[in-house]
Amino acid sequence: MPRVSHAKDLEIIRTQVDGKRNRARLEMVIPNGTCCQASGSAALIDAVRAELARQGLLQDVALRVTGCLGFCEQEPVILIEPGNILYCHVAAKDAAEIVSRTAQKGEILEQFLFADPVSGKRIQMESDIPFYKAQTRQLIRMHRFVDPFSIDDYIATGGYKAIAKVLAGVKPEEIIAEVKAAGLRGRGGAGFPTGRKWEEAHEAPGDEKYVICNADEGDPGAYMDRCLLEANPHEVLEGMMIGAYAVGANKGYIYVRREYPLAVKHARIAIGQAREYGLLGDNILGSNFCFDVEVARGGGAFVCGESTALMTSIEGKVGEPRAKDVHTVKEGLWNRPTVLNNVETWANVPSIMLNGAKWFASRGTDSSKGTKILALTGQVKNTGLVEVAMGTPIRTIVYDIGGGPKNGNKIKAVQTGGPSGGCIPERLFDLPVDFDALWDAGSMMGSGGMVVMDDKTCMVDVARYFLKFLQDESCGKCVPCRVGIDRMLEIVTDIAEGHGRPEQIPLLQELAETVAEASLCGLGKSAPNPVLSTLRYFIDEYTAHVHGRQCPAGVCKALITYAIDAEKCTGCGVCLKSCPHDSITGEKKKVHIIDAGLCQKCGICISECKFDAITVK
Amino acid sequence: MAMMNLDSILEGRRSQPHMLVEVMLDLQDQEGYLPEEALKTVSKELGVPLIDVYRVAHFYKAFSLKPRGKNVITICTGTACHVRGSDLLVNQVKGQLGIEPGDTTPDGQITVECVNCVGACALGPIVVHNESYCKNMTPGKLRKKIDKAAGVKKEKKHA
Amino acid sequence: MLQYVNVMIDGAPVRAEKGTSVLDTAIHVGVCIPHLCHIPGIHDMGACRLCIVEQVKNGRSKVTASCTLLVEEGMVIKSNTDKILKMRKNIAELLVAQAPNSKAIQDVAVRCGVKDVRYPFRNEDCVLCGRCVRICKERAKANALGFIGRGKDRHIDHPPGRLMDYCKNCNGCIMFCPMSVTPCGGPMKKGQERLCGQCDSQLNADAQKMPGVCVWCELGKGFQCSRYLAV
Repeated sequence: MPRVSHAKDLEIIRTQVDGKRNRARLEMVIPNGTCCQASGSAALIDAVRAELARQGLLQDVALRVTGCLGFCEQEPVILIEPGNILYCHVAAKDAAEIVSRTAQKGEILEQFLFADPVSGKRIQMESDIPFYKAQTRQLIRMHRFVDPFSIDDYIATGGYKAIAKVLAGVKPEEIIAEVKAAGLRGRGGAGFPTGRKWEEAHEAPGDEKYVICNADEGDPGAYMDRCLLEANPHEVLEGMMIGAYAVGANKGYIYVRREYPLAVKHARIAIGQAREYGLLGDNILGSNFCFDVEVARGGGAFVCGESTALMTSIEGKVGEPRAKDVHTVKEGLWNRPTVLNNVETWANVPSIMLNGAKWFASRGTDSSKGTKILALTGQVKNTGLVEVAMGTPIRTIVYDIGGGPKNGNKIKAVQTGGPSGGCIPERLFDLPVDFDALWDAGSMMGSGGMVVMDDKTCMVDVARYFLKFLQDESCGKCVPCRVGIDRMLEIVTDIAEGHGRPEQIPLLQELAETVAEASLCGLGKSAPNPVLSTLRYFIDEYTAHVHGRQCPAGVCKALITYAIDAEKCTGCGVCLKSCPHDSITGEKKKVHIIDAGLCQKCGICISECKFDAITVK
Repeated sequence: MAMMNLDSILEGRRSQPHMLVEVMLDLQDQEGYLPEEALKTVSKELGVPLIDVYRVAHFYKAFSLKPRGKNVITICTGTACHVRGSDLLVNQVKGQLGIEPGDTTPDGQITVECVNCVGACALGPIVVHNESYCKNMTPGKLRKKIDKAAGVKKEKKHA
Repeated sequence: MLQYVNVMIDGAPVRAEKGTSVLDTAIHVGVCIPHLCHIPGIHDMGACRLCIVEQVKNGRSKVTASCTLLVEEGMVIKSNTDKILKMRKNIAELLVAQAPNSKAIQDVAVRCGVKDVRYPFRNEDCVLCGRCVRICKERAKANALGFIGRGKDRHIDHPPGRLMDYCKNCNGCIMFCPMSVTPCGGPMKKGQERLCGQCDSQLNADAQKMPGVCVWCELGKGFQCSRYLAV
């Protein structure tokens, strides 16, 4: 492998890759990230490769295996260029037909095109699909050009040009000024101004400094960071290099949660390749800058997404946070100045240095610049990774991009910010995706998870769900978090089970406020948010549970009864077979009955019944 | 057992207390759990008090101090999967196997675990079976998968 | 050579020794900030959160634990604002609901103004204050005890095998454990837990009317609170 010792070496590689690409008549891009593989992309890739070989097309047609392209719900997909044609829900058995008809002859196969859910019309070009139209895909757009196992691909897209520019004569103070002017705010959740963080680390005394990439991404429902790291690990590395140079660090860590084995693998491979090319190590690109990166794996703890806990985890200890009276930019990893930033934050840095602060700040709102990747999931039609300019209203994301409710039910709320965030009701959907606007509404941007909830979701149950999650993940050190969450859960469980007393609601509010202020770390401080936001916007559901002993959404088991509708039941027996509690009886072709005494309302029969014959009261 | 296998894990890491988590992750990956004797060796070789080794072993979800079953079924209980019904999957497993998440069946065939998000949220509910991801799971699909893993072929009789 | 800094605690100027915590400084000058997990001379954890205070900086106030906050020149500390008193009371209420069966914890709770307990009592025998763990590690240097488990499962335990393999028999863990002081009326049975409201702290001073005054609580008496040592 050639050593890259000068910026012009990058140019040579770029030209080589472009040359190779131009020789291919057609390109087939197939994403193969973790979710894509769950949908069967690996088998599809093997099949396409075999077909291309069998039909003698290996010289003419380039097959590129990439990371996530964003429209996860439609996978496996094949993107064909030129023409920007998107084939959706492709199976391995379709490979032969697609290769022989589309790749060989240029024929468009209607059955694989995206079908508009309302009009039924087939849409040929990816850019015409509504899911993509309202997006501003600055980061995700690059994934289609990059095979994560190829550093050359990254270089061909302009990779490592930013660090070359920086090392050729941009001073650390100038880098920091540029990042400040761009208005980049941390994408991990808190939204702290990145430039200011770097400035404080730069000014902190000490020779040994560190930069860390936080890829712990513990928020359930969020997977943007996994995709960025799997699809384009070199972009993150380059961002870290620029940051390290700006603050004076020579060592970096990428802390990846162990539940992301593919991201760990891709990051390690990318680091290996960068080292081989001399882009990590001593005297990078002929300068005095020395920098190396290591991957550190998490052990399975949500709390390790918190900066001080993450650092003690890298130090080989339990991930218990410490009070942040002294910030980690002054005393962080091994008590040295440390800059910890989220994956998406680092990924934004190279383009800021190449295109300038003004370019970055031209998108977004006054307080939130640039774009944000959101993981749009839940009860919405088009689930996947979505990148929008800050300031885009929630309504646009849920309806225009998301396509509206999945099951035809009414959408009630979105939950943003994971367990540290809150629920925003439908009537506030004109709020923009913006750090401050979401904070004022009682939620937060968080890392970018956006879970859509419909009217069959019980908000008391949602509060209970998050409290259970946090109770499980709390490190347990401090009383307000450990005991406070436990007691809040006790109260919400009472309410959900029909034993709620009216005085418990104000007690819940008071306890939530104490936990929010007195807890030691961010996990505890934000733990009450789901409770506080559901109390704020959905108090009627709490009241219904407490005073009316009813669950309006039909979820809380103690308050509902399952019964079989005699008019719809065909006696097929599927429910009887699937009930794990033996509570259904009935003869073939005769109406079945549920014994309410044995029924545990687990919901399995409802999900199995093809005739919608089970009612919930 | 102990010394031979641990050498490759401990190489280059002896007397480096900060490598504790990485060492234990490698040990977990290699053995499928953390044997007591191995932990005592790790404590000695890395220079970490045994109590602290145990703190780490109990703190992180990755670690199991008991051997796991041949089939590890992991149900994702993250928000997106929860909203799409991961509870049903947990109920299915409890009812079908009679064990709680975190436990292994008495015959050692199946271990069931719940994890708070595997990051495949658009395709939920997700079940991971021995590192292979299964999307859009339903209780019915899970029942068949578990039956297959346990080698069971029985069908519930209709009344 | 000792260095000093000037700080303000509850409106009064105080000359504090550099490197000490706000909690130690306050107790030293006679301002009682209730605490549980703090032991004089032992590294602080900031776990119980009873010792929280408001630090006023640049016009904004931040709630933080005074045991882990080191004094700095010009620091402004408020230990008894309405907000702090309310939170402290709520935290103490949580503690006493977990483990009422201890005179020390009942005393501290009353000291913080707890009159009614609005949660069902649990009668636990450990509040995870960590005093035993830190005494074992820092004074006995035995490393026989540690926090094992996370969140709700967190408990005190020793490495596998027998405790006696590691323990040095100094009895520090028992001496410093708040649960080792039984309530005035004797040990409570399950289902009969209560806040007796008869403790000396209550009788000495109405805690809410005179915040910041030392009431010679049971916790301090047994465990060598600096106030007792200072007298």
